[in-house]
Amino acid sequence: MTNITVNGKQHQIDADPNMPLLWVIRDIIGLTGTKYGCGVAQCGACVVHLNGEAVRSCVTKLSRVQAQQVVTIEGLSANNDHPVQLAWNEEQVPQCGYCHSGQIMSAAVLLRENPNPNDADIDAGMAGNICRCGTYQRIRKAIHSAAEMQRKGGASK
Amino acid sequence: MKKQGTNKSNYGSTLRAMAVIGLLLTVIGIMAFGVNNSDTPKVGAESPLPVVKKDSIASVKAFKQVYTVLTSARCMNCHPSGNIPLQGDDSHLHTMSPQRGIDGKGIYAMKCANCHQAINTPGLHTPPGNPNWHLPPANMKMVFQGRTPHQLAKQLIDPKQNGNKDFKKLIAHADDGLVLSGWNPGEGRTLPPMSYAAFKKAWITWLSTGAYAPKGK
Amino acid sequence: MSVSNISRRNFLRAAGLTGTALFVGLYFPANAEEAKVAGADAVEATDIELNAWVHIDTDGKVTIFSHRAEMGQGAYQSVPQIVAEELEVNLEDINIRFAQGDRQKYGNQVTGGSSTIRGSYKNLLKLGASAREMLIAAAAAKWTVPASECYAEAGHVIHRPSAKKFHYGELVEAASKLSAPKDVVLKKRPEYKLIGKPLKRQDTPLKTNGSAVFGLDFKLPGMLYAVVERNPRLRGKLKSFDATAALKVPGVKKVFKIQTGVFQTFRDGVAVVADSTWSAMQGRKALIIEWDDSGFEHISTDEIYHRQSELLKTEEGLSVRKQGDPDTLLNSAAQKLDVIYETPYQSHSAMEPLNCIAYYQPDKLEIWGPIQAPEWVQDFICTQFKLPREKVVINMTFLGGGFGRKAFMDYPHEACLISKETGTPVQVVWTREDDMTQGPYRAGISYRCQGAIKDGQFIAFKLKAAGQNIYHWMGAPKTQPNRSISEGFLAPYYKSIKDLSIADIPFETPIPNVWWRSVYASTNGFAYESFMNEMAHLAGKDPLDFRREYLKEEREQKLMDKMEELSGWKNRKKGEGFGLAITECFSTTVGQVVKVSRKSDGKISIDKVWAVMDCGWYVNPDIIHAQVEGSILMALGAATKHEITFKDGLVEQRNFYNYIMPRINDMPEVAVHVMDNDENAGGVGEPGLPPFAPALTEAIFDLTGKRIRKLPFKLDEV
Repeated sequence: MTNITVNGKQHQIDADPNMPLLWVIRDIIGLTGTKYGCGVAQCGACVVHLNGEAVRSCVTKLSRVQAQQVVTIEGLSANNDHPVQLAWNEEQVPQCGYCHSGQIMSAAVLLRENPNPNDADIDAGMAGNICRCGTYQRIRKAIHSAAEMQRKGGASK
Repeated sequence: MKKQGTNKSNYGSTLRAMAVIGLLLTVIGIMAFGVNNSDTPKVGAESPLPVVKKDSIASVKAFKQVYTVLTSARCMNCHPSGNIPLQGDDSHLHTMSPQRGIDGKGIYAMKCANCHQAINTPGLHTPPGNPNWHLPPANMKMVFQGRTPHQLAKQLIDPKQNGNKDFKKLIAHADDGLVLSGWNPGEGRTLPPMSYAAFKKAWITWLSTGAYAPKGK
Repeated sequence: MSVSNISRRNFLRAAGLTGTALFVGLYFPANAEEAKVAGADAVEATDIELNAWVHIDTDGKVTIFSHRAEMGQGAYQSVPQIVAEELEVNLEDINIRFAQGDRQKYGNQVTGGSSTIRGSYKNLLKLGASAREMLIAAAAAKWTVPASECYAEAGHVIHRPSAKKFHYGELVEAASKLSAPKDVVLKKRPEYKLIGKPLKRQDTPLKTNGSAVFGLDFKLPGMLYAVVERNPRLRGKLKSFDATAALKVPGVKKVFKIQTGVFQTFRDGVAVVADSTWSAMQGRKALIIEWDDSGFEHISTDEIYHRQSELLKTEEGLSVRKQGDPDTLLNSAAQKLDVIYETPYQSHSAMEPLNCIAYYQPDKLEIWGPIQAPEWVQDFICTQFKLPREKVVINMTFLGGGFGRKAFMDYPHEACLISKETGTPVQVVWTREDDMTQGPYRAGISYRCQGAIKDGQFIAFKLKAAGQNIYHWMGAPKTQPNRSISEGFLAPYYKSIKDLSIADIPFETPIPNVWWRSVYASTNGFAYESFMNEMAHLAGKDPLDFRREYLKEEREQKLMDKMEELSGWKNRKKGEGFGLAITECFSTTVGQVVKVSRKSDGKISIDKVWAVMDCGWYVNPDIIHAQVEGSILMALGAATKHEITFKDGLVEQRNFYNYIMPRINDMPEVAVHVMDNDENAGGVGEPGLPPFAPALTEAIFDLTGKRIRKLPFKLDEV
């Protein structure tokens, strides 16, 4: 049994400790916002927060998460109102949308650690997340917009 | 590949043999770090601190071996000339361009440990693992990529460039877990050009014979 | 009770829509070019089947069944945006549902060819207007006033003289008893309140909190998970397998052989079914398999391009188009050019790997998944399992990208085969490696272009292409040329370059091919437009001025004016390279200007891309901008980052570590302009892709004098 806390809720997981957190979250806990994209930490579609860090759940074994805090896209905010989520809507970032759970989880860490990023900072923080639809220009814009919201203490627009 | 323990005991006996010969010298000039006598002469749990006896020929010869290891993909990839690590046997830029950061552990959503687990992830082209995966920090980049043997030897022993490592700490660095993981690189990756034992022997020989730098630029 | 009545009720019940309501749909009378609008009475009275349903309940809630897949291109937004315009409802009062796959009900549902809007917008406008007129007529009857005194606005019918109003919900019962009007007057563009506005997509909030359900996210009670080990040499056969170890992996339930349809052939595989995706993957690793590789041993990329180049030297090919006598002119011309362009095989690599859920029950086979072509899946599955159409139900989820690959039937077929064997609902999941190594791929094509210049004029053009033909896989006769080889080329050139020929040299390999975003234009465009640039230089002319001589029509001239104006084409500074290209596909013309420079480290940087699109009548400019931005990035990847190569019959790329995707740090600044006119709507999802590569290589030529004729190339190595 592995004890993990996902989005504030405790779970007792009876599974192979080598099972990647991604499949625990999706197939056992049933939260499907976290996506499978490559399985080898290349694309970032599976990013969740583990104790606040943007880890790739596809290569993070269940055993690493014992007694740790996990936050998935479903738990980032109660009402889809984290500044990054609001900015993603404001700038109409997603196309197919598949990669954006991971993009948003990565952007949230970027903004926490650098509340006023420039384009180079954004590229440095977001180059781990692949988007095949090519929404990168809007991701940059939205992160600037989220930073502004954060500075103003909430939604700006 | 041999286990670490085996390597250590081989290496230990070699060192003990070497230690018999020498006098401890405080080296100035080329060897720009001091060794404090009063420290316990131990590296790790069992290795006695080797005694330094200057021998420029043996030293340069040993360093040439050290150099082939440090500039192999397994070591050089995390000692890049820029702020982005390298990847693969061909030492290409890491595909997702993670940045070094101040502590060498990455930045923002791109911290090393976000992908690099405590142990290697199974499979080809998956992230190799180590509990302390990192690049040298921003204030001590310890670049291997593009360095000549002369430059690299000088740089390794320069406390301003090596993170203030003295003789003892340099010797100890051979037992660093991340250095060792070069010999456990994960599936499909080429090993450094010699065994860990041979590398460690060369490393200590180089240091304990005066840490001479090969001639050249 | 008529058949259609039953199916309508079943349909509505299945969709959770019961009780009194107005529903209006379209149907296509036999041999009619235009769809007719019909209401309940027509459905009850006849056997017609409706498509594109609009359903309004007594609360005034509007539900629209989108007949097309949402794979990022914005159908989920633009289809209701069109209907709401004429229906006179607020967009936020509309609920959109994915229609099930059913050709009988919804007509052509294949989301491909950038056709969602251009193929159906006139019908959707008519549908919205008809429902509105029925609601107005119902209100007028209740008030006993002439309908002409009433109008509709924001979900209400209002009696102009008295300002009395009814909510739509109050009218649906009466309206549902009316016949659909025979003719409706549609609004003129200046009257639009929604169309033409950059309204926010309704699916965005679902995609920022993880609630959008993609195929991979759909779950059924008791569902098992399956992965399939397939012959790494594409479509190969299975000799034998040993499942002993696989069956010992905890969670693994069943291991068996399947044969999945790949066009008209079959691919052998061994399916591993387990209680989680991970367990199935672990079981698969434990399989011991012997493959029969016959037919695929020696395929290599070098061999493919060598054969293509030999064919281009020696063969004339099958004529696609011939006008005048280009050969004679080419023979006698003093100024001429004869060059070959090479384009690579590419994988679609949508971020959501292929997956599909099937539940094979005695009376029904139901499928859920990210499917671009539900009607094709329905056809194929009916044939394979010998089931009547009404027993095969296809449900569409959101697609995590498609790009053409998800308009293919193999992965739904796998899910059905596996569910039939297990008797449970099953989700088959392709790993990224499966997705990348199994194809089908965009075909890599080589083009030989010959052209002659006389007195500064482009007098003769001859193009031959050697590359695989998608349509051969679908059974097209091999004696006929691939007519798609002219896709991307601008039609006005046929008028202005009098002596011209285009030919297709049949070329076969065992590698299966399928359409990839913008299809043949994605590779043709590189050849046609690179050559146009090269001919401009041969004639000693500026590439934009040169094109103006051959693209005389007003729409093209306006497009070029806009390209010149936005990019500052004539005002480039020292150290800047500018390049352009213009292509047409899916009834939309796109011109792009790319600006490059050398960075301080000597490497080429793509500084900016200006894209001007003329797609005629359009719905949502922000979605169009997004599609063009995305097309450019996808083109950038295919031109400078990745390709699929073959060695010893195996695909060399396996995952994003060796099929290198462009990332955010590769994204240039993109500025998009959409031309305003009322011409027929063209596609927007794909036409932004083909001009990028030839515009980029021209910009590099402008900066460095180096001509690139082979894709992909590495920007860092120019």
